[in-house]
This record gives sequence, structure tokens and C-alpha cells, in this order.
Amino acid sequence: MTHNVDSSPRAGLPWARTLRWLVAVAALVYLPTLLTERQIFGYALSNMQLLNIGLSQVNLMLITMLGALSLNYLTGSAGLISIGHAAFYAVGAMSAAITGSQWGWPFPAVLVAAALSGALAGLFAGLPSLRVRGLYFVLSTFALHYIVVFIFMEYQFKFFDVVGVPYKAAELGSWALNTPTRWYFFLLPLVVAVYWLLHNSLRTREGRAMQAMRDHELAATANGIDVRILRLKAFAFSSSIAAVGGALYAYYLTNVTSEFFGIQFAIQFIAMIIIGGMGSLPGAVVGAAVWLLLPSIINGLAAQAGDTTGLVRSMLFDHKPQLVQPIFGSVVILLLIFAPWGITGMVSRLQAKFAARRAKS
Amino acid sequence: MTQALEIRDLSVRYASKGLALDSVSLSIPKSGVVALLGANGAGKTTLIRAISGLLPLHGGQIVQGSIQMDGQSVLGVPAHTLVRRGLGQVPEGRLVFKQLSVEENLKVGAAVLPRATEKERLDGVYALFPRLLERRRQAAGWLSGGEQQMLALGRALVTQPRLLLVDELSLGLAPLIVSAIYKQLDLVGKTLGASILVVEQNARLALNFAATAYVLERGRITLSGPSEEVALSAVVKESYLGAIKQEREA
Amino acid sequence: MLIQVLLSGIALGSIYGLVALGFAVIFKATDVFNFAQGMLVAFGAYFAVTTINLLGLPFPVAILAIVAASAALGVIIHVVFIQPLSGRPMLAVIMLTIALSIVMRAVIEILYGLQGRTLTTPIPTGIFMIGEVRVSQLHLVAASVSWVCMAAFFAFFRFTPIGLLMRATADGYEAALVSGINVKVMNRLAWGIGASLAAVGGLFLGQLQIVSTELEHIGLLALPAVVIGGMQSIPGAIIGGLLVGLIEQLAATYISPKSTDIVVYGLLLMILMVRPWGLFGQRELGRV
Repeated sequence: MTHNVDSSPRAGLPWARTLRWLVAVAALVYLPTLLTERQIFGYALSNMQLLNIGLSQVNLMLITMLGALSLNYLTGSAGLISIGHAAFYAVGAMSAAITGSQWGWPFPAVLVAAALSGALAGLFAGLPSLRVRGLYFVLSTFALHYIVVFIFMEYQFKFFDVVGVPYKAAELGSWALNTPTRWYFFLLPLVVAVYWLLHNSLRTREGRAMQAMRDHELAATANGIDVRILRLKAFAFSSSIAAVGGALYAYYLTNVTSEFFGIQFAIQFIAMIIIGGMGSLPGAVVGAAVWLLLPSIINGLAAQAGDTTGLVRSMLFDHKPQLVQPIFGSVVILLLIFAPWGITGMVSRLQAKFAARRAKS
Repeated sequence: MTQALEIRDLSVRYASKGLALDSVSLSIPKSGVVALLGANGAGKTTLIRAISGLLPLHGGQIVQGSIQMDGQSVLGVPAHTLVRRGLGQVPEGRLVFKQLSVEENLKVGAAVLPRATEKERLDGVYALFPRLLERRRQAAGWLSGGEQQMLALGRALVTQPRLLLVDELSLGLAPLIVSAIYKQLDLVGKTLGASILVVEQNARLALNFAATAYVLERGRITLSGPSEEVALSAVVKESYLGAIKQEREA
Repeated sequence: MLIQVLLSGIALGSIYGLVALGFAVIFKATDVFNFAQGMLVAFGAYFAVTTINLLGLPFPVAILAIVAASAALGVIIHVVFIQPLSGRPMLAVIMLTIALSIVMRAVIEILYGLQGRTLTTPIPTGIFMIGEVRVSQLHLVAASVSWVCMAAFFAFFRFTPIGLLMRATADGYEAALVSGINVKVMNRLAWGIGASLAAVGGLFLGQLQIVSTELEHIGLLALPAVVIGGMQSIPGAIIGGLLVGLIEQLAATYISPKSTDIVVYGLLLMILMVRPWGLFGQRELGRV
């Protein structure tokens, strides 16, 4: 009797892959129920077991993921570095305020308008790249960030007040996005679609040219590709996605002020992609997920800290909100020193190691 | 007897370019003068960097072998410590401090010495290269190529090194100036009793100057021995006859 | 009155110039664009509050303590965080300094709380009149001390042997290695100097304003100052600081107090577009 034994992990049952996809989709669809009802198949789960995460945070993570994805697209793929990415969120929020709150446009139209204004802003922000590169360009994004936030602040005080800019309820036609679950089922496909869009854009001729441009600008130019136009396109694309993120952010929170878009916000995006892994779309996803988990874990630990004593207790209890930032910062520092390729990079290295080991045996 | 410089089975790899030196062995006796020949990219500068501790700066790594200066290993020793141990270097491209004056350049070289000897050493260099004395207050960036080469050599000589590495001295300079500098180098070498390693693309020059020669081709030593023999070898004639021809036509 | 505004502009500009000088020293010597310079200013102010007000040390002793502590902090930052990243792309180092500033901010908030504190020092805070012009004594002292520090640094840089070695290292890193300079020590020295100059700036800014982490924001004005003046130029950094100080005061008075950010950063943007190497810098290829 002969056996057809194939030990490679790639082969294996042909429908195994489809099964894995189905399980993933099912899990994602079930997630909101899990998080809102805090029980699985009738078995109640404690806060800690759910990592202290609520559906609201998942939604915020999805909105933030748009920013992380677009930034990683820009930074990692096109080789452009922008410290001021939060500015495009502000652009989107402001555009949404004008079209939605002031002019009363329907939600989908608001989003489209946000995308367009983001693209425009991105073109403008990308202009310095025609003139300067490297450090100087980074500084230009830094300067632009301040300017955009200032404009938002002026807008806020001119048309609204210090409380902030209010936003109407989001609705798609007659279906109102008024519960976290509904938001989830709107955001999730959107993020997936954006991911797919960016992923494919990298696969096109232009996309590959851009990555070539990142590595060897001269070579790309020699191939007859105008590097500068590509860069501007990449910037516009990335910014329009971020602007949509900003509009969603504003609608989700229903009220934003210019302080929301400070330099801290922008820095968090870069921290996210460093943690997740620069230059890769999965890295953006991982980075945004970490951003979601970290505060919750800390809060969870703080809640459990009743037993610990002294300094640790005072650190966790009294300074709960302030711990997120430094821990985030420290993680970034440690990663930069020891593992600059981020979590996804570490994973792929481990995978490579395992594959090599398996190949030997 | 300990050699001034003893390199055994040295292999060096660059992170981006792969193996640059493959089991290279070379030695310089005390007060000896050795030439290292080879075409562009053969690995000559890599060898110099390996000796003087500049490999990490260029992303290179020693993967095997040993380098000993006066019987002491130099691997892992920081560059500035080696200078204190008596290593002098005239790097490829001269690398003078362009915004500092000639005198300041020399003073930097003298920084490892006790203050008392500084003036005397500087005067020594000025005696060797009077043109530097004329231009002592000028910014080094404004000097001509030949003057910068004198300055780079002078800066290295200020410490009266026991082992001197000279990398591509003739590059970009007119033959007259080059031979003048080599003359001074010869003089100083004999006075100090220094051991000298001369790296050159210009084979004829180097073979005239040095007693022993090594030929480096794509990271490997392919020929070595007394200069006269090396000069006569067919390989060298073939490889470098072209170079000499170009020289004549220039 | 215009003269009034100009005077405060020069006073503040002198302090900014000092901080910008520290920034430029770090940049010229180690090629690091130190986004944490703002926090180093804040640290200086907090060191001041601690030594002068909380510990009650005599003023001269406190000054020494502030300078020593900040220099040590600068050296520690370089050794622990910057050195491991040598040879890495510039974005990584910039991100590191940004992340560092986040952690530093949190450390201050944990140790000192979120409330701002007042810094009281023996430096006189009165006002005296020259004709119709009111001159703040604090401004005068701050400006004078800043200029003295800058002059002292200049003297050190140009005329001392160690200053020569620092200049050489900034001129050519590999050349410095070849010549036997201990570049590690030079780098640490640069960071120590850069941090202590920032701290002195923080001492004055902390007294002119409230001591809080918001000082970071003011300290970060050294960034546009250095770029406008010319990143590779030490005199450029100082003049950039003066310009930023003047522009800030003029904008605050004649446009609006909130407009200072956009005016300064708008100018930064313009310079980057038109003359990125700054007013006194030399043309150079963009790094990264």
C-alpha cells in the first residue's frame, strides 16, 4: 500500500485555506456580538479576558488603521516620510464640517468630498518634495502640520466655538450609523477595501515603479518614469485616505476640536508603523492593533493593581492616563534599537528561520 | 622577530557587497617598505580599513584572520587607540579638514602628543613641506590637490608613526608633484625608521619605491615578492602595461 | 510701541539662539536632528525649580547643579539611545528623539504632576525705564547671560584644543578617526554641551513663563530657528534664534498672540521651498 505523504505545510488539503478564510471572516463577523454582550456561546467573559476592549475601541482602531495604512503606503512604499500625517485627518474633518454640518450634504457625499479635499491637500503638501528631499522634506511636513492645524483652529473659532465642531449623525441613506455594531459593519469592509486598493496599487506597474523609486531613484528615472509625478500621486492618494479617516473620526466622535489633531496625534501614526513594521500594509494593521490594545491592557492592569504595593501601585493608579504615552514611546525606542523592522518584520524573520530549519530536516 | 605588520588569512565581508578580501596574508618587516598593487575595486582600501579600524564605518566586517601590529592584535581596537600605538594613515582622497587651516590640521594630528612636543613636530613638517608653511593660515579646502596631499601626509607624520599606511597617494596628481612627495616620504621613512605600506594603482611608482610588493586581484593575493621580481612578472606586465601606456599618453 | 516689541523680541531671540546653538552643536557633531531639544529645555526649567525652589540651594550652587545635571542627561541620552543607532537612516534617529521626548514628558508629569509651577530665582524681575521704553530686568539678564554663554562657547570652539578637535570631527568624521580623535568622546561632549545650553534656556524661559511641559513647545522653536539660519552653521543658528524671537514678538503684537506658530512655521516652510540650506548655510544634498 502506498501513501502519498507530503509533509510540506503549503500543500495540504486544498480546502484548508478556504476554511481558514471562512473561520477568519466568521470570527470578524461575530466579534461585535462578542464584545457587546461579553459572552461567548453563553459563557460569560470577564473584562480581563476580553483584554478590556470594547467595540468602541475596535471602531476607533479601524478608523486609525486608515491613517496607518495610508502612512505606511507613503512612507514604506514611496519612500516619503511625513511627520505631519495627522494634518490630513484635520483636513478631512474640516471638509466634513463644511459639507456635512454647514451645507447638510448626505454622509456618503461628505466622505467623497473629504477624499477629494484630502487629495488636494496631499498634492499641495507633496510640492516641497519637488524641491527638497530627505530631512528637509520631513521638516516641511512638520511645518505644514502646524499650519493646517492652525487653519482648523481658526475655522473652529470662526464658525463654531471653543467647545468644538459638531457633526450630524452619520447615515447611509436611511440606515443610521447609531450603534457601535453598525459602525463596525460599515468600517470593517471599508478598511478591507482600502487595504485591497492599496495592496493592488503596489502591484501595478506604477506601484512597482514607486518601490523602485524608493530604492534607486536614478534607475527609476532611467526607465522613463517621472519620479516626481509618482511621488505627488502617492502623496495625494495617501492623503485622501487619511482625510476620509479624519471625516469618519469626526463623525464617530460627533465633536472635535483642533487640539485633537496636535502633533501628538501625528506622532502616534509614525509610532504605529514603526511598531507594526514600516513599509508593509500588514505592519500598519498590526501597529494600529497594538495602539488599541495597549491602553486597555494598562487600564486592565491598573484595575487589578489593588493588590500590589507602593510605587507600582501609585504609578498605575494615579497616573493611569499618562502611562500610555511613555510606554508607547519606550516600546518604539526599544524597537528602533533592537528590532527596527517592527513586529511583522520579526514574524517574517522567525518564519524564515523555521522554514530553513524544516528544509534541513 | 616581530613584524611591524603581520596579516594572516584575512577575510573581510561588506554587508551589501559580499566578500571583499579572501584569505589575504601580508607582512611588513620593521622599517620595511611594502607596496600593495591592484586595480580599482581589488580590495586595497578594504585592507587598509581593516588595519586601521575603519571597517565598521563602511559596513565591513572581518570574518576570519588576524592582523598584528608590532606583535599586538589590532582587531576590535578603536581607530584612535591605534593612532596612539603608532599607526599613521594617509587615507584615500586625503580627507583633510577642509574648513580648518593648514596649521590647525596639523595640530589635530598632534593632539595625541604631549603639548611640549607639538611645536617641534609641526616645524618638522614645515621643513619637509615648505609650501605648507607658506599656506599655514589658509583653509585646507582651498589648497591644490598636491598641497592637500602634502598636508594629509604631514598630518600623519606629526605623530612620527611606526607604521604608516599610504592609500592612493598619486591619485589625481601630476607626476612631478607625486615624485616630489614620494621623495620626501622616502626621506622621512628612513629618518624615522618607519614601516610603510604603500597602496597604489600606479604600479611603476610603487615598485620603484618599495622593496617588496603584493598584488591584489579581486580580494586575493595573486603575487608577492621582491619588487624587481614582481615588476618582471608577466602578469604584472600584462595588467599594468596598459596603465603605464595610459600614463605616457596623458 | 515698536521698540518695546523689538526689545522683547531680541531678549527672547537671544534665549532661542542659545537653545538653537545647542541644537546646532548636536547636529553638526553627531548628525542627529534632535527633536528632544524642546524637552531638554523643559528639563532645564524643572531642574531649576527643583534645585532653587524645592531644595533651596544657594543660587550659584543651583546653577552648577543644573548645568551638570543637564550635561549628564545629554551624555546619557547619547550613550544609551543614540549611539546604538549609529549608521541607521535618519528617520529612525528622528523617531527615536521624538519617542524620547514623549517618554521624557511623561517622566516629568509623573514626578511633578500636571500643574505648572512657578520658578522664583534671585534674578530681578523688576522694570526700569529708558525714556519711554520699559525694559524688563529679567529680559536683560536673560539676554546678557545667553550672549555670554554663546560667546563662551565660541571661544571654547575656536580657541581651545578640545574645541579644535570638535571642529575637526564636525568637519570630517572619517578624517577625525584617521587622525586619532576619540570621536565617541567628541560626540558625548557635543550632547553634553547641547543639553546644558538648552537647560540654561529653560531656566530663563521657565521664569518668563510657567514651568510646565508646555515649555517643550517653546523650546522646539529652535528647530525653525536652526533651519532658517542654516543647519550646518553655528552662527546661523544663533541668528536664526534671534529672527524667530523677533518674528514671534512682532506677530504676537501686530497680528494676534495665536498667530505666532503659523507665522514662524510658515516662514520655515517658505525657507524650505526657496532656500532650504538656510540663510547662512551651504548647499547640501538632502539626507535620508
